[in-house]
Amino acid sequence: MKRTTKTPPKPVPLGLIETPFYARLNALSRAKSWVGWAGYISPVVLDTVEFEYFAIRNQATLYDISPMHKYRIAGPDALAMLNRLVTRDIAKLRNGRVGYAMWCDEEGKLIDDGTVFRFGDTDFRLCCQEPMFGWLLDSAWGFDVDIQDESDVIAALSLQGPTSWSVLKDAGFAAVESMKPFDWREVEPDIWISRTGFTGDLGYELWVPAAKALRLWDRLWDAGDHWGLRAIGFAAVDLCRIEAGFVAAGIDFQPVHKAVRLHRGRTPIELGFGRMVDFDKGHFNGRRALLKQGGKGQRHALVRIDVAGFKPADGALIYHRKKKEVGFVTSGVWSPTTKRNIALAELNAPFGIEITDDLWAEIYVNQEGKWDKRLVPVTLQTGPFFINDRARATPPRAF
Amino acid sequence: MAMSDNRYDAIVIGAGHNGLTAAATLAAAGKSVCVLERSDRIGGMSRSVDLGGATAPEIAHLLYNLNPTVVRDLGLGTKVPLVTKILPTVCLSPDRNHVLFAQGEATFANGAVHPDAAAFGLLHGRLTRFAALLGQMADGPPPALAGGVLDAGTLKEMAALGKLGWGLKRLGKTEMREFLRVILSNAYDLILDEISDGPLAGALAADAVRGAHAGPRSPGTVFSLMYRLGNGGEAHLPIGGMGAVAAAFETAARNRGVAIRTGVRIDHIIVAADRVQGVLLEDGTTIHADAILSSAGPAQTMQIAGVANFDIEAVRRVRNLRHKGTVAKINLLLDAAPVFPGLTREQTAGRLIVAPSATYVERAFNPAKYGEMSQDLVIEAVHPSLSDPSLTPPGLHLMSAVVSYAPFALTGGWTDAARAELLARTVRTLDIFAPGIGGSIRESQVLSPADIADLTGAPGGHWHHVEMGIDQILTVRPANLISRYAFGIGGLYLCGASAHPGGDVMGAAGRNAALQTLKDGVLGA
Repeated sequence: MKRTTKTPPKPVPLGLIETPFYARLNALSRAKSWVGWAGYISPVVLDTVEFEYFAIRNQATLYDISPMHKYRIAGPDALAMLNRLVTRDIAKLRNGRVGYAMWCDEEGKLIDDGTVFRFGDTDFRLCCQEPMFGWLLDSAWGFDVDIQDESDVIAALSLQGPTSWSVLKDAGFAAVESMKPFDWREVEPDIWISRTGFTGDLGYELWVPAAKALRLWDRLWDAGDHWGLRAIGFAAVDLCRIEAGFVAAGIDFQPVHKAVRLHRGRTPIELGFGRMVDFDKGHFNGRRALLKQGGKGQRHALVRIDVAGFKPADGALIYHRKKKEVGFVTSGVWSPTTKRNIALAELNAPFGIEITDDLWAEIYVNQEGKWDKRLVPVTLQTGPFFINDRARATPPRAF
Repeated sequence: MAMSDNRYDAIVIGAGHNGLTAAATLAAAGKSVCVLERSDRIGGMSRSVDLGGATAPEIAHLLYNLNPTVVRDLGLGTKVPLVTKILPTVCLSPDRNHVLFAQGEATFANGAVHPDAAAFGLLHGRLTRFAALLGQMADGPPPALAGGVLDAGTLKEMAALGKLGWGLKRLGKTEMREFLRVILSNAYDLILDEISDGPLAGALAADAVRGAHAGPRSPGTVFSLMYRLGNGGEAHLPIGGMGAVAAAFETAARNRGVAIRTGVRIDHIIVAADRVQGVLLEDGTTIHADAILSSAGPAQTMQIAGVANFDIEAVRRVRNLRHKGTVAKINLLLDAAPVFPGLTREQTAGRLIVAPSATYVERAFNPAKYGEMSQDLVIEAVHPSLSDPSLTPPGLHLMSAVVSYAPFALTGGWTDAARAELLARTVRTLDIFAPGIGGSIRESQVLSPADIADLTGAPGGHWHHVEMGIDQILTVRPANLISRYAFGIGGLYLCGASAHPGGDVMGAAGRNAALQTLKDGVLGA
């Protein structure tokens, strides 16, 4: 369970540091709009959000996800350790598959969500937004398992968009053709590709040792020109993930280890992920608390909503019968593809569960210095806002 | 073996006094109970051991804190014979002007008036009163107050807290303020505020920290001193040896129909659907039960029940519990009656304390912080054979010494050489007060904290399993969210010294755990 370092320690750099792809991103950046992501310099936007968004939905895009935290979990007890950590049954995740997972504290409150990559019977990678090394070491106590923090040594690119398979094929990765969504395999020595993403579209994620990162970038870039490949930043991805209905840590839920105030944590059930909780698989962290809370213990409901009008509802308060405040929007955007005003919203139970009608969003709009308030109707929506069968088609289509 | 032969309502792990008390309490409620003991002897820390034909107290040698409710419930001393003798405390002084105290009265051993007698009487009386107030909390689980003000259980707990508050209030304003002033404080300051530093102060300081990884200047040691005084503070020597205590608990349990199996090694606790089902023994036998009460340490209990069955936070808390044992046990078989110049034979039969001053005790603690044993040891010694001659062959005598500080994690480990060194230092220290005592040693026995851990399973060889610090008592004993005996898995309970109210040969933790198990209904109506 020790973190091993092969190179001698270097002085700790001050401020944000560069990802393995920074040289290419910086050369492409017209906007020079950067954000700190887990200590790394990461683009908000490289050109314009509109170009980048439409590239995700109509072409192919490269987004540098190297700042994601990556942990290797290997050893005879790796499966048992992970199954005690997360709420779903990892035993059902086959080798060469990727699974979305959530993990909770002892009160059943979400610590973080992420993806589990299964290399083999006893070898996994956990990929997530929040730093988790200390928690994983705590989780591993009593298990015969080795935890390595791979965050700094594995670089990763998210290749998303309808032409992403074509880009891969032209880059020499035709072997991914047979991969179904959530498959993952080593297509070449040291290059692993998963058919995963955060956009709800056709897409892949590519994982390489940091030293080989730029070579991979160039290979994709050279193959991509013909397919409209663009490098993109966070802003466009965020639009797409809301369209796909994905939740984001720190935005749609507060990772409970980070929250300072009482009662900021939410359970997977409150976030609408009851299907991710397997009460029958044996003990997992927070199981007893979640069972005790049961259905009636649900204090909140994170829901997808369709908001009337076209003004993005981010941060808007939600009212019942235009009077009673019952929640607020956690993520709200105008969806360019579906041409709808969409949002994720947290409602206080029983709103969003038993009571789903007569809901209103109060949106404040600043029009060149003049504030205006609009009360618009809200409709609950099941399923993602954006859905396209190209995302799941196997073999994938050229575009 | 037929399955029915191996089915009980409850299994108790460990046949120490707490395990036996838990078993007897469950059996008294009509439950079938089986106690499983790893060693081949019953009694845990309250056992006798043979030393050259003498019956010596293997580990603990005195009773301070035997819980009156447990005594009553188990019929100890009435239905079940247990005879004890109260020993006065003798504070040994290098100048042989020893000090004696009993029932809060201090005098010089030669009968002269001690200049601090009045102050000592006030201090001792006050601490005993405070301790009695806190002692009310021992006979039930620590308050949880989780149910809200409309919950009957919570109201009952609030009533108990109210009783404590009312008791505090009845002390009067001055005394209540004093209680609140000192409760989190350190013994050294409290003692030396009232009496001058010397053997009397030293003995009090030593009593405050015996068994603890603490010096008298450590915070929370006023509490540990009060804990010791919880039942008046008198030291009781069991007649017939410490084994008589174990036998009394055993008899009380057996009289109620408890089955006790010794020499039994548990492979693991069987868990299904988040409930205990029983245990699998190393020999392949399965014993079924609906509840399992463990008097082993929390970490050991977690391991035999499967770490995966506990929440990660609970495991982390348990891993981080403080239980560094600091006392060794030394038994000496003497071929002559011990002679302590300045003491009569009657006084020599008392509880002898080597702690010439509070400062001496604090300094003795310093090496323990760094994994070394003290040069100048703090010792609590008794001569059981002077009170009960039947314990030794004619002409021989027994000295039983509790020796501080001898840290569990001694640098270099507890080798035979380390034990010999500790014995040599002990004899050297005793020789100051009983010149030539080394020459009369016929046989000796040294148990380091590591040996005590091996013998009894006590984590860190710690006498209280989990240090009695202010961060590890009441609602956080052994840790937050596991303070009310229930231990994660349905039907699993902690019933040993690591649970509230804590260590010493007391029995309250075992009784409380059994009552909680019954109350939770895991054994049916």
